[in-house]
Amino acid sequence: MREPFPRYLRFTAVAVGAVIMLVPFLWTVVTSITPDGSLAGGPTLIVKDPTLAAYRELLDALPMWRIALNSFWIAALATVLQLVTGSMAAYGFARLAFRGKNIVFGLYLATLMVPMQVLVVPLFIEMKTLNLQDTYMSLLAPSIASAFGVFLLRQAVESLPRDLDEAATIDGAGHLRIFTRIVLPLIRPTLATVAVFAFMGSWNSFLWPLVVIRSPEFMTLPLGLSTLQGQFTTDWDVVMAGSVFSIVPIAVVYLLAQRHIIAGIAHTGIK
Amino acid sequence: MKKRNAGWVLFFLAPSAVPLILFTVVPMVSSLWVSLHRWNLISPMEWVGLDNYTHLLSDPATRDVFLHTLIYCAGYLPLVFAGGLGLALLLNQRLPGRAFFRAAYFLPVVTSWVVVALVWKWLLNPTSGLVNSLLGALGAPQPGWWTDPTWALPAVILASAWKDLGFVMVIMLAGLQAIPQDVLEAARTDGAGAWQRFWRVTLPLLSPSTFFVVVISLINGFQVFDQVYVMTAGGPSGASQVVVGQIYDLTFRYGRAGEASALSWILFAVILVITALQVRGQRRWVHYA
Amino acid sequence: MRSLVRRGAAPLVAGIVLALAACSQGSATRTDEPAAGGKSTVRYMNFSANDGHEKDLDAIKAAFEKANPDITVQIETLPYADYFTKLQTAVAGGTAGDAFELNYENFVTYTANGSLAELTGVDAAPYKPSLLDAFKADGKQYGLPASFSNVVLFYNKDLFEAAGVAPPTASWTWADEQAAAAKLTDKAKGVWGDYQPISFFEFYKTLAQSGGQFLAPDKKSATFNSDAGRKAAQFLVSKAGKTMPTEAQGAGTPDFDSKLFKDGKLAMWHSGIWMFASLADVKFDWDVVVEPGDTTKASAMFTNGAVVSAASKNKDAAQKWVTFLTSSDDMVQARLKTSWELPPVADTGKVSSYLTAGKPANRQAVFDSLDATVLPPVIERQQEMQDAVTKELSAAAAGRKDVPTALADAQKAVDALLK
Repeated sequence: MREPFPRYLRFTAVAVGAVIMLVPFLWTVVTSITPDGSLAGGPTLIVKDPTLAAYRELLDALPMWRIALNSFWIAALATVLQLVTGSMAAYGFARLAFRGKNIVFGLYLATLMVPMQVLVVPLFIEMKTLNLQDTYMSLLAPSIASAFGVFLLRQAVESLPRDLDEAATIDGAGHLRIFTRIVLPLIRPTLATVAVFAFMGSWNSFLWPLVVIRSPEFMTLPLGLSTLQGQFTTDWDVVMAGSVFSIVPIAVVYLLAQRHIIAGIAHTGIK
Repeated sequence: MKKRNAGWVLFFLAPSAVPLILFTVVPMVSSLWVSLHRWNLISPMEWVGLDNYTHLLSDPATRDVFLHTLIYCAGYLPLVFAGGLGLALLLNQRLPGRAFFRAAYFLPVVTSWVVVALVWKWLLNPTSGLVNSLLGALGAPQPGWWTDPTWALPAVILASAWKDLGFVMVIMLAGLQAIPQDVLEAARTDGAGAWQRFWRVTLPLLSPSTFFVVVISLINGFQVFDQVYVMTAGGPSGASQVVVGQIYDLTFRYGRAGEASALSWILFAVILVITALQVRGQRRWVHYA
Repeated sequence: MRSLVRRGAAPLVAGIVLALAACSQGSATRTDEPAAGGKSTVRYMNFSANDGHEKDLDAIKAAFEKANPDITVQIETLPYADYFTKLQTAVAGGTAGDAFELNYENFVTYTANGSLAELTGVDAAPYKPSLLDAFKADGKQYGLPASFSNVVLFYNKDLFEAAGVAPPTASWTWADEQAAAAKLTDKAKGVWGDYQPISFFEFYKTLAQSGGQFLAPDKKSATFNSDAGRKAAQFLVSKAGKTMPTEAQGAGTPDFDSKLFKDGKLAMWHSGIWMFASLADVKFDWDVVVEPGDTTKASAMFTNGAVVSAASKNKDAAQKWVTFLTSSDDMVQARLKTSWELPPVADTGKVSSYLTAGKPANRQAVFDSLDATVLPPVIERQQEMQDAVTKELSAAAAGRKDVPTALADAQKAVDALLK
């Protein structure tokens, strides 16, 4: 049984590809430690006189740790909320039968079909009407539930064989027990995936926080970093330092989530 | 029986339905209302009825931005899907350092478009870029990429597909975990080759994830904005302007928020129809457990 | 079921408490409420203090609050790129500040919509008349000029010397500029003679320099598709690839031209006086001069103004702040100390220290340029006009259209916007 692509060829292709993938990030880092680094002149990996001056300037210009912490808490909350609301809805769609289910699911999907650029103004006016503008809640509100997560999780739950549910029902388990004890553990890889995207979506969110937040104590990372770009000139090394600051946490979140995505459980569950 | 079920349906769906209604559906309905007015945001709205819609639908510029968006999706989806799936398959097997590789391939997804855009602008620079230098060395024609109205959109497509490979890879990796090893083993002992195993076992069992990727990529593809804004700003001469780019310009730069809302609802209708077609068609090729 | 309720009760209550806490408004919004003791708060939004001058604005605010103990000023500074997105949304939602900053190009849009409060009883003496007039509409004062800047010709003295070309003087014309640029361009060495962005902003200025008019006096039609217009457009477009890099080679990308000049690879550069500070550490000798004209001289002038919102509940306090911000000596000091644009003052004696504030040596050119200025043409659909003109000129520069066709198309587009 010959494998079509020998191991070493696959490895080389993957390795070369990975290096190419890393170039933008490496260029970001290089620019951030190059004195007066600029982004003109193409990606370079050569550093002459590396210096941390850009990072010092960054920490001088903005209360980076506080802003990063802000962004972190909001993203973490958004992630937890989306996992909870999303998995519950996924179970509802995949395991419960009710009239108009497909229409309701269609409505969920419809919420993904209007761009944020159009929703921002009406949503802001709505927040102002509820007197919720410039609050922590206003930052979180659009992220409490996401049809993206519901959709992905629904696919995962639909893929689970129903025999498990049936066995549990015979044993006297109700929906809640089946949901928490059987379904959730089995969709761990997808939950981890949704967690990564929920975190990333909140972490990088710019337009909505720009419009709804005024107080400095609510400032998020993308907002803070945008102030580094001047009207006429920009210190690119400082901006790139900010980018590094912004990318590292998500990369860490991804690495942590990866272990759950590749759960490596050779299971069918049919025991 | 129905009453008991209704309680459960409410219990499982309310936590997501309520926020979605409050914070997405309500603004959506408001924007529908706005689309029936002329509004520059800084002064009161003026009722114009369906004028925005008739004006947009008869404007060739609208047809152009939809065409560009369609071309973007048609080019982007196959590339990112094939690439992401290939990566997922490769990185699902025992390869030394695969955790590192998976992180490396995901890194562009989380890197900001500012940097990725510059990398690709440099790569596809018509005179000094790496790609054209290679093409020149091979004796192939060297397109004008960013400066050529015909090639600007393909350039954006290439950059976008590259950046999002990691996104598709992650989803497919999760999907691959759901494929029971014993089924693959059974196929192998039955004498199926690697390609057959892939085509007859893996791919069908991956279909729920594939369905997700295709539907989401199209929904997102039709709303593409950031990369076009950063890389070409819709140029040269509007050759790469996409629908949401136009919506953004209309709302925040041209003071025509009413038209922008109308355009977004036309876009909504298009995305809805395409998604509905896919949802209906899933019976034919998507295999759930 | 009951155990479920018991287990779920505590986290639920905690969740509700946290959710309620999350609904309380941030510090900036809370101070919107009128404070006790007759103190009023003026909220001011701006962009020009961003990226380096926040402390200067704070200094002006501190001086104002000292002189007006019953008024507190709350400042919100945003980067220019995001400023108008936020401002428009805030106005739409009714949360715009009492006063805010507008650049001249956007001023017309805001006056046309009644979003600004008329400023009455303004003492015109401290202000440069042309700048004060810029912020009038229908003869009424709707804003006060906060600062101004203009565009001059930067040149690399060392490159001129090395090539044996006489450096530019205030009496140069386009012909002199083109001749020098040709001699100074050495593509083999990667040295370019003359960089001028090909955009709406450069076009209306060169149009004025060749004696043309952008809009008809009644502002109901565009008149730049004329011989003067074609000459101006040709002047701009012909530089691409000859004396400056083309779009394909990177021209027009952020910081491309400033980097070229800073690296000593550019002999002449049309840019704004806001670049002075960033050229302080450059390794070659450079200076500035009034831009060459064609049939006449015309320098592009840009001005930012401060306005009071029509929806403000503190109009008097806001006007006091805006007046202080735009005419006080504290403001003049703060601006001159850090070269934060130029104060709009009529008394040139007050800005005499600017002339000796460091490189460039010929800072007098900045004031000489004020003898013949041209403000941007403004219409209600300003941004669309700017985009249309820049689009056509870029197409001409890239060779996709010839100049007469591009100009005709641009004028047609602008006429459509004026209907």
